[in-house]
Amino acid sequence: MDFHRHILAFATLAGKNLLRRVVRTSLAVTGVALAVAVAVSLAGFVKGYHGAITRSIDMLGFQVMVMAKGCPYEAATMMLKGGTGLLYLPDSIYTNVATDTGVASITPVFIGVAEKEQTSIQDDGAGSFIVVSGIEVPSFTTMKPWLSFQTGTGFDGGRWFTTDTEVTKEAPENIKQEVVLGYEVAEYEQRKVGDTIALTITPSGAVSSETHEYTVAGILSRTGTQDDGTVFMPLSSAQRIFNRPSQITVVGVKLKEFSSQAIRQFEERWISLPEVQIVGLQQVKSTLLNLISTAQAMIGAVAVIAIVVAIIGVINTILMSIHERTGEIGIMKAIGASRSDIFELIWYETLALCLLGGLAGIIVAYGGSGIIEFMLRHLIELGVQGEIVVISPGIIGLSLGGTVLVGFFAGLYPAWRASSMRPLEAIRAGE
Amino acid sequence: MSYSLNHPSAEEPLIVGRNLTKHYRRGSETVRALDGVDLSVATGEMIAIVGPSGSGKTTLVNTVACLDAPTEGSLIINGIDTRGLSEDALVAIRRGFFGFVFQKFYLLPTLSVAENVELPLLFLRRNPSRRTTLALLETLEIASRADHLPRELSGGQMQRVAIARALIVKPKVLIADEPTGNLDSATSDSIFDLFEDLSHQGLSIMVTTHNLPLAYRASRVVTLQDGKIVKEESRKG
Ligand SMILES: Nc1ncnc2c1ncn2[C@@H]1O[C@H](COP(=O)(O)OP(=O)(O)O)[C@@H](O)[C@H]1O
Ligand SMILES: [Mg+2]
Repeated sequence: MDFHRHILAFATLAGKNLLRRVVRTSLAVTGVALAVAVAVSLAGFVKGYHGAITRSIDMLGFQVMVMAKGCPYEAATMMLKGGTGLLYLPDSIYTNVATDTGVASITPVFIGVAEKEQTSIQDDGAGSFIVVSGIEVPSFTTMKPWLSFQTGTGFDGGRWFTTDTEVTKEAPENIKQEVVLGYEVAEYEQRKVGDTIALTITPSGAVSSETHEYTVAGILSRTGTQDDGTVFMPLSSAQRIFNRPSQITVVGVKLKEFSSQAIRQFEERWISLPEVQIVGLQQVKSTLLNLISTAQAMIGAVAVIAIVVAIIGVINTILMSIHERTGEIGIMKAIGASRSDIFELIWYETLALCLLGGLAGIIVAYGGSGIIEFMLRHLIELGVQGEIVVISPGIIGLSLGGTVLVGFFAGLYPAWRASSMRPLEAIRAGE
Repeated sequence: MSYSLNHPSAEEPLIVGRNLTKHYRRGSETVRALDGVDLSVATGEMIAIVGPSGSGKTTLVNTVACLDAPTEGSLIINGIDTRGLSEDALVAIRRGFFGFVFQKFYLLPTLSVAENVELPLLFLRRNPSRRTTLALLETLEIASRADHLPRELSGGQMQRVAIARALIVKPKVLIADEPTGNLDSATSDSIFDLFEDLSHQGLSIMVTTHNLPLAYRASRVVTLQDGKIVKEESRKG
């Protein structure tokens, strides 16, 4: 008898046995289906949520900043010190760090502090300073892809400034320089696109201050970060007006891999540079990662409990069914079934229960993922973008494989029990 | 369905049982279900086992058919000494050599008549042929029921299906324990007609029964009492 015919015949026999008690079989299958649906949904959630958090981390912009030792990097600190605390690095540091293989993107930033014109009646002491950032637009916007310009009356036509390399024909003093304003600066100073804004700056080494006039090329949408309170201008313009050629304040870095290990390794590679400190988003990162792993552990525990309960249900169903069929199993042995034949038969029944349940569970989870996503979003403020329940082919494959494996083990005991029955005792017990 | 007498030496019995003894423990006492029985079975012989209830008929046929191991004594089947063999080895001996029919027919309720009949072939790893199955059902006069489920049959028909299931593997010996116990007398008669036919075709049959007139249709009648053979009558012809 050919092998596949034999398997088919056994599988048919097993299937017919299962159909004998439709209600009981359905209950066992439903149990498995629910467990698998829960496990698949949870795995999909973990995967989706992980992806969403990774995307959110990308939105943080700089994951790591390279700056001079002791240099403040929070806007408030800079303000309090009136810019006097700012320390600078040679821009060779930037070109050095840019060669690091772990770096995904990198951008140099010059930060200075200007005094504002005393035009607004709302001005107070702290408000009389304003942060000026000199940036390289292409790499800066790569790092912060969400930056966009405000639209609407007075804001339309917003764009990044033309860099001064494009206008070197004239003496710098004669060029009408352009700036881009952060959302709050524009609001506070009541500026629109095309307006002028004056910044008063004390260049390095000078005693008296100089006032420069700029045209507002664009106004950024609100970001909720300290960029909102910043005036952006080309890196080279900032270096020139502060009289710090070839100097920068911060090198912003985004790593290819965002993990504490990657950050630590990056630190180890560059901490040897003299006078340099490396500031990572340590707390943010470790909190996030801890949250994820705690959630994963909880979710894993729930899935395991569901699966264990379902397995117990399956084993119980099969044990009940072999108990009922004691006489039949005896007769099958009498008419020539070997131990392994009976084992195979019962084992197929268990496997079929698990597989059916697994398939049903996956379909339920797949169909229900939209609903789960909707409910989660409405029940909890997740603070992440994009899909949070992602049921990938990988998860489907894994859960199918898992149910087969579970069926394999769940079937062992009932199959062994049935195959160990002595034919005669089985026939007698069935009488 | 026909049985050819193709056994190499017709004088050598198919089964030789010597001093077959089976003790059961029931609490503190020992039940001697079989007590030193000598019995051999030759090709084409029909042996009826009779005796009161509890006299050891079932124990005897089960022991002879290797479904149960004797406590004492030797059993040689087709030249093979069965003493101390594992269950799997006994399965191998039983398979294709014995056919079984029980008082309660034990058909699988989920399988059709034809599928029930073909079931042993599955365990023997032989390909079933529906034509052979139908021919067999034809000789048992139940071919029209081939696609019915067992619950749609009468008791006599079910027993015929069980007999067909026993015969499909072309056994040498048919073991029938009270095959007519659940059947009316006309149906019982027809089953014994069938047994007689089969034994004339070369099949050995061991049948237990309470029905003495039926028993005396056999070529040999063995009477048991308290696990011992008390009478053995042979009929020539
Ligand atoms: N499994 C068993 N355990 C204990 N005693 C048994 C068992 N099987 C049979 N017996 C006893 O052995 C004796 C013979 O039984 P059995 O062969 O069934 O007789 P019969 O078929 O002639 O009615 C009876 O006394 C019965 O109670
Ligand atoms: Mg009996």
